[in-house]
Amino acid sequence: MKYALFLGCKIPSRLPAYAASTRAVLQHLGVTLVELDFNCCGYPARSVSRDGFVLAAARNLGLAERVGLNVLTPCACCFGTLRHAIALLDEDAALRVRITTALAAEGLAWSGTVEVEHILPVLARVVGVDALAGAVRAPRTGLRVAAQYGCHTLRPSNVARSDNPLAPTIFEDLIRLTGATPIEWPLRLDCCGDPLHGANALLSEQMTRAKIADALASGAEVMCTACPHCHLRFDGVQPPQTETADASIRTLLYTQLLGLALGLPAKSLGL
Amino acid sequence: MSNTLFRAALDTSLLLCALGLLWRMSTWYRLRIGPDVRDLTLVPRLRALLRGFAAALFTRRAFHVGVALFLDVLLQRRLYRSDKSRWLTHLLIFVGFMGLLLMHALAAVVALKMFTGYESTRNPYLFLRNLFGSMVVVGLAFFLIGLRRRRRHTLHAPMRRPMDAAFVVLLGFVLATGFLLEADKIVSPQVFYRMAKEFNGSADPAELKPLRAFWASEFGVAFDDLTAPITPDLLRQGRAMHEADCETCHAGAASAFVSYPVSRVLAPLARVLDAGQAPTWLLYLHVFACFIGLATLPFTRFYHVLAAPISLLVNGAALGRSLSGAGRAVRRALALDACVGCGICDAHCSVAPLARHLDNRYLLPSHKLIATGELTRGRLLQPGHLTTGAGDAAWRAAEGAFGCTDCGRCTSVCPVGLDLDDLWQSGRADLARAGLTAPAQWVQARPALAWAESLQRDFWPRSFFDPDARDAPLSANRSSFSRCVQCQACTNVCPVVAYSTDPAYGVDLTPQKVMNLLRLGMRDLAMGSRMVWSCATCYQCQEHCPQGIRVADIMAELRTLAVQRLGAVRSHKELS
Repeated sequence: MKYALFLGCKIPSRLPAYAASTRAVLQHLGVTLVELDFNCCGYPARSVSRDGFVLAAARNLGLAERVGLNVLTPCACCFGTLRHAIALLDEDAALRVRITTALAAEGLAWSGTVEVEHILPVLARVVGVDALAGAVRAPRTGLRVAAQYGCHTLRPSNVARSDNPLAPTIFEDLIRLTGATPIEWPLRLDCCGDPLHGANALLSEQMTRAKIADALASGAEVMCTACPHCHLRFDGVQPPQTETADASIRTLLYTQLLGLALGLPAKSLGL
Repeated sequence: MSNTLFRAALDTSLLLCALGLLWRMSTWYRLRIGPDVRDLTLVPRLRALLRGFAAALFTRRAFHVGVALFLDVLLQRRLYRSDKSRWLTHLLIFVGFMGLLLMHALAAVVALKMFTGYESTRNPYLFLRNLFGSMVVVGLAFFLIGLRRRRRHTLHAPMRRPMDAAFVVLLGFVLATGFLLEADKIVSPQVFYRMAKEFNGSADPAELKPLRAFWASEFGVAFDDLTAPITPDLLRQGRAMHEADCETCHAGAASAFVSYPVSRVLAPLARVLDAGQAPTWLLYLHVFACFIGLATLPFTRFYHVLAAPISLLVNGAALGRSLSGAGRAVRRALALDACVGCGICDAHCSVAPLARHLDNRYLLPSHKLIATGELTRGRLLQPGHLTTGAGDAAWRAAEGAFGCTDCGRCTSVCPVGLDLDDLWQSGRADLARAGLTAPAQWVQARPALAWAESLQRDFWPRSFFDPDARDAPLSANRSSFSRCVQCQACTNVCPVVAYSTDPAYGVDLTPQKVMNLLRLGMRDLAMGSRMVWSCATCYQCQEHCPQGIRVADIMAELRTLAVQRLGAVRSHKELS
């Protein structure tokens, strides 16, 4: 098991704990990670230029193709964007010509051999739920956890191909094996509000707060995330957690939850 | 060289340099970048400066400043981490230049006082001068080679000002005249006679014959009248005279390992050079080039020798602490000066592929920094300034500023340790204040109908083929939305619609109405709608559409179309 680790823009600068816990957990599970000189996945350029966003994504794929590795990303938005770019390159021949020509100027190529994976399906299917359950040393028994999927890990389902988009279970399965209890909450598949942060801040905040309130009302102690955008968004709208403890929810990255259950030192998980 | 002339020229260039420095450094206290420092007056900024100095010198932070001075300024630790070959280049030029400055240019002030028995023509000083000089020459060569290579491999090379190139030429000129002067002094009989008169007391060629023979064979002086055969006996006599009058001050000329080989080339021309007073005018050229360099220092690339260390030391002093408003203001303005334009940030920039694709260099950090400075100085908004070849420079700069993903790589690789993240944030806020915003803001600043009417005034040929087919193929192809049956499934699952409870921020249309506008051929109206721009791209609509319409993908395409087409008919005055 060897992947090119795609951290994207947000994780190294704003959420280094996600990078640390991803590396710690995957290394512990025998997954080798290689760091390449990747650029932005292209997500922020989706509203600016279709060719521009596909080119940015394809350059990353080209870098991975050059070393013959599949890409693993802990970011749902990077995952969705890279996968989306592949889908567009597959369906639009004229686009494919324009992009591969631009890549060739840099000595890169895209031939569609590179697969892009999000960390949740890799853990659940490649490492395997059973193998993970067997490796748990310190189960988080009794912890009530709300699974925050992150839209692009699931939708559009023909691109993400990770689970049933209307009734997914993959995240809950992964939480259950750590000994924690995944809770049912009505808004679990809704958007965290982060993409609207710049375009419509008030509406964005409504969406985020509604999700937090829903998770709390459903009995969650912890909001478990698998995307830096969701994670930073929840942390961003909440008051410091000591002040109004009843209106805020603790956030935990899935790699941190799993790392704790595997018995890894909290410090190595950025906690 | 006439002493009065020398003093006058030195004093003038020192004065010009000091005035230039005062002018340049005053910008650190005059420029205001970022809304959080807009109302700061000069007094708190000066107070922050004094407080910073005091803290840096007299508190525990003095240790961090000391570490920064040694590791960051002298050893260039940050550059070493980012780019090893450029670190070597920098080290060669830096060590060579400082060596020449202290041991040679300031010999009277530094070397004479520090080393007893200092004599420029003795070793190790003679050898070291050549070593330092050749280090600078090799460093400059590496620099030019690197520059060529980078220019070839990057589409947007860092911006170079003519003054920067002029300085490199000047530095090369100083080095060249220095070596030529030394070489000419080696071969020049004129210089020989002048020295002989001073230390031997005679300038008579016949009387000095043994010494001339010895200096011609051992030191390479090119006498053209030394006809008689040089016998070993004559040389012995010459050596005795040399030991009596010359040896205490002169090491073998071959120690000047650059100038001596050059002098062999000059030897046949020695008479002509002497006749033309070459030693004198070479000295003038050499010294006055140095003075020009000194006088123009504040306005050339060389200004970084002051601004960059100050920036690094400020970082050392501020380590792990958040700066006050005044401190931030100074640091941001200082960043504009301390940027060397090395382009290492550009090479690591996360959105560099997009900069290439959009042909917009303002997405790259080094150019963005320049645009930030121009905006602060009020020049960015002047029409025609900073022309980029395509479109309005101010809007290109805004596209660059808001296209940044805040990945922080530029800050982490900057050899001068600039807090670029902070500069970008404040720069964006200033742009927004000037009416130059991100697409989501400027599109939503006008109602969709107003945009559609602007587009109708702007002729858009659409008779034979759809111009949007390439950049927005789904929106341009009827079959991708014509199956819509207006069932409202998309609207019912849309979280944006669900939370649009207040008209202050709610959307104007619903997803299914956007699809209907497309069906009616009103793409111009759809692309400017708040619904399209407030879409979270969560794909609930697309996932739930019973007709398989790619609603969210179409929304994303419409946004790119709006950026392109509405961008062509916007003006920032209208939108601010």
